[in-house]
Amino acid sequence: MIDLLSYGAFFLTMALTYAVICLGLNLQWGQTGLFNVGVAGFVAVGAYVSSILTTPAIDGRLGGFDLPIVIGWLGGGLGAGFLCFLLGALTLRLRSDYLAIATFGAAVVIQLALLNLEGITGGPFGIGFIPRPFGTLAEQPGLFAAANLAVLIVLVLVCYLALQHLTRSPWGRVLRALREDEEAAKALGKDPVTYRLQAFAIGGFVMGLGGAAQAHFIGFIAPDNYLPTLTFQVWTMLIVGGSGNMRGAILGAILVWAIWALSGSLVASVFPPDQQARAASLQIVLIGVALCLVLLLRPYGILGEAGTLRAPLRRALRRTPNSLSEGQKTNV
Amino acid sequence: MTPDILRLKTLHAGYQPDLPIINGIDLTVRQGEFVVLLGPNGAGKSTLVKAIAGLVPIHSGLVFLKEENITHLPAHMKLHSGMTFVPQTENIFTQMSIRENLQISAQILPKQLRAERIEAMFAMFPDLAKRPSTRAGALSGGQRQMLAVARALITDPKLLILDEPSAGLSPMLVDEVFARISMINQTGITILLVEQNVRVGLNVASRGVILVEGKVAHDAPSDELKGDPVVAELYLGGGSEETAQ
Amino acid sequence: MTLQPLMDGLVNGSIIGLGAIGVTLTYSILRFANFAHGELLSWGAYLALTVSAALGALLPGLGTPIGPFSFGWSVPIAMIASMFLTGLVALTVDWLLFGRLRNAGSAQIILVMSSFGAALALRNLLEFIYTSSPAYFTTALQISRPVLPGLRATPDQLLVLVLAVVMVVAVHLLLTRSAAGRSMRAVSENPALASLAGIDTRAVIRMVWMLGAALAAVGGIMSGVVVQIRPTMGLDLLLPLFAASILGGIGSVPGAMLAGLMVGLAEAFTVQIIGAEWRAAVSFVILVAMLLLRPQGIFGKAAA
Repeated sequence: MIDLLSYGAFFLTMALTYAVICLGLNLQWGQTGLFNVGVAGFVAVGAYVSSILTTPAIDGRLGGFDLPIVIGWLGGGLGAGFLCFLLGALTLRLRSDYLAIATFGAAVVIQLALLNLEGITGGPFGIGFIPRPFGTLAEQPGLFAAANLAVLIVLVLVCYLALQHLTRSPWGRVLRALREDEEAAKALGKDPVTYRLQAFAIGGFVMGLGGAAQAHFIGFIAPDNYLPTLTFQVWTMLIVGGSGNMRGAILGAILVWAIWALSGSLVASVFPPDQQARAASLQIVLIGVALCLVLLLRPYGILGEAGTLRAPLRRALRRTPNSLSEGQKTNV
Repeated sequence: MTPDILRLKTLHAGYQPDLPIINGIDLTVRQGEFVVLLGPNGAGKSTLVKAIAGLVPIHSGLVFLKEENITHLPAHMKLHSGMTFVPQTENIFTQMSIRENLQISAQILPKQLRAERIEAMFAMFPDLAKRPSTRAGALSGGQRQMLAVARALITDPKLLILDEPSAGLSPMLVDEVFARISMINQTGITILLVEQNVRVGLNVASRGVILVEGKVAHDAPSDELKGDPVVAELYLGGGSEETAQ
Repeated sequence: MTLQPLMDGLVNGSIIGLGAIGVTLTYSILRFANFAHGELLSWGAYLALTVSAALGALLPGLGTPIGPFSFGWSVPIAMIASMFLTGLVALTVDWLLFGRLRNAGSAQIILVMSSFGAALALRNLLEFIYTSSPAYFTTALQISRPVLPGLRATPDQLLVLVLAVVMVVAVHLLLTRSAAGRSMRAVSENPALASLAGIDTRAVIRMVWMLGAALAAVGGIMSGVVVQIRPTMGLDLLLPLFAASILGGIGSVPGAMLAGLMVGLAEAFTVQIIGAEWRAAVSFVILVAMLLLRPQGIFGKAAA
């Protein structure tokens, strides 16, 4: 009984770390319409910065500053947020898909850096002995699991309330106005790039925070945790929950993580060991197909239709079906 | 009585299904006519010609070109039926040469006719023939309009539809462009012209159709409209610029 | 410091360039960055591998190496077949996914996102069918021969260079001299006007997919001949492809090829000077530098 409960708490805690990451992505995509293909990279930055700040000193690697966990988490968030700011500043004045390309590239380079900068990241073996919140309770597994879950519940709540406050503030209203009618908002003297950049950086901060919390919950991190599959997972969570809908983002994270964990253990128990890698790739094929199906059939998400993306979608629908989008000149 | 070339039957059209801009238009244009579409801003003049050309969705109603139902024909097929449309802006390929602009539309002609038709256009617009390999983007405003019209005429259409060819041109160039269009009309090609300036439009065309809120408000020979006190009051009252507002 | 990275860079750059031409063409005509384009290189390589294996089994004589090269006639025949088959793969994805989104008037970024999902499905489908272990067209080893002092190359590598030049010249002539190329340029500049001028834009889109996919297949097969075939080869090439198409100026075919060569050379010299582990970062550095200094690309126009 205790085992089942503590597994439930473990599962839910893990799912809630994804919920935090998903909330960050929701601010970028659902609220602002910015396509981030490098989620795994920003989550990794959050996790590594926080780990370096909080682990005890160790020979042969930078850091081990032994700082309090809260400082680590904030540092992780700031690191990821700053990186998002730089990439946004580089691309947001250009074509909308340059941001996608740049974030994709950033994730590739971050993965390389994790592997190769052994003096900072520990290389392929990563970083271990990351302090866990309430580590003194580790002797009593039930209580320890409950305390961890409580920490994550509080973190999700704080992020949720803060983001809700933000989106309902005058700043959030400008963001919405930019989405619904960019020209009108521009006429009022609002520079769309500034607002989008701020939203992208804040979203990155939340994502980094989620990555940091996850690292401290698992206790050790390695580059393999931050492969592109992670990006796909988070995207699926957001799309399933309904982009633009914050409660949907949290629910989507829990739902997709449950499906992922269940199908993973199903694969492990049904397929012989030598076929498991193939079965896992089929699992990812299905995720890719599902993502496309949602875009084709339910562009507002499966669960929620909070509809913050409806306006741009409808504006896009207003165009002539036969003609392609206009407005950019190219030279062949 | 000359035969009909274009016939619209209770046409409803607009960019969005729930937001029609054209609200049931019936209109017949006869062969060889020169008809001008007039009306205040937002009356749907431009939307109407774009709907006929296949660029704006038609919700209900029918469009006939001669006896052929072209209501839902894709835009590129309408050229084959003998109808051609010159948009108001972005009506030439600026990255391509003058000759290439003409070659694009000549592609639908039989092979042996292509070179001959291109030469015919150069004869009609000698300005364009001077340097046919010039990039079209380097042309002046007036020359661009000439190239757009030449591109449209190369397939020898029965019906030429023009959306405000005078927009953005100096008064002297406007006169020249309209003189050209009249000349084209005299060769037997039917013209449907959208024009913002009511006085100028009625002077150049033989018949005027005034649209208001997506419906036909007046439809009469130009001379009759010019003499109509209601039209004069509403559309010809003050100067020629503000009246159309 | 030897000249050897020059050869490696040119060979790899040719492969990147062929892929980047496809990216730049679909980008300029369909107006979105296609994250699934890398997968067309992988699919091209695997489809050719399958055809060539089947040919080799049916007619063992086709497996005998041609002249100085490592492969027999089965590979060039399989390449022609694969160019066509990869085109069909691209057309199928367009029919199932991109075309439907276009008709629904979806925003550009929705298309980018769907290409991301398509890439995931296509790549893992390959991994499912062929597993993740590397495959080879032939097991024959080739000895590299000196070409210039300090510069050695295998006959296969030299063939890749020649083939890349032939393909680029052919595509360039197609685009600038033929009616089909004129139609593509017209749709690229102004799709609405192109349809008014009598061009069937859907036919042009199909043509662009066939062309882009065929070039991707050739690139993938070249990579398979000189290196190896893996399901992730397209994913690894994706960032270099994007970097090259932006560096070359979106829409410019000669630009994409030249930029591809530059990316390939930069990678090769990075491997030589800094180390192989940083190779994948080169494209990102080039990309960031371009977006900072000249976002329209070196061959693009300032107003683009």
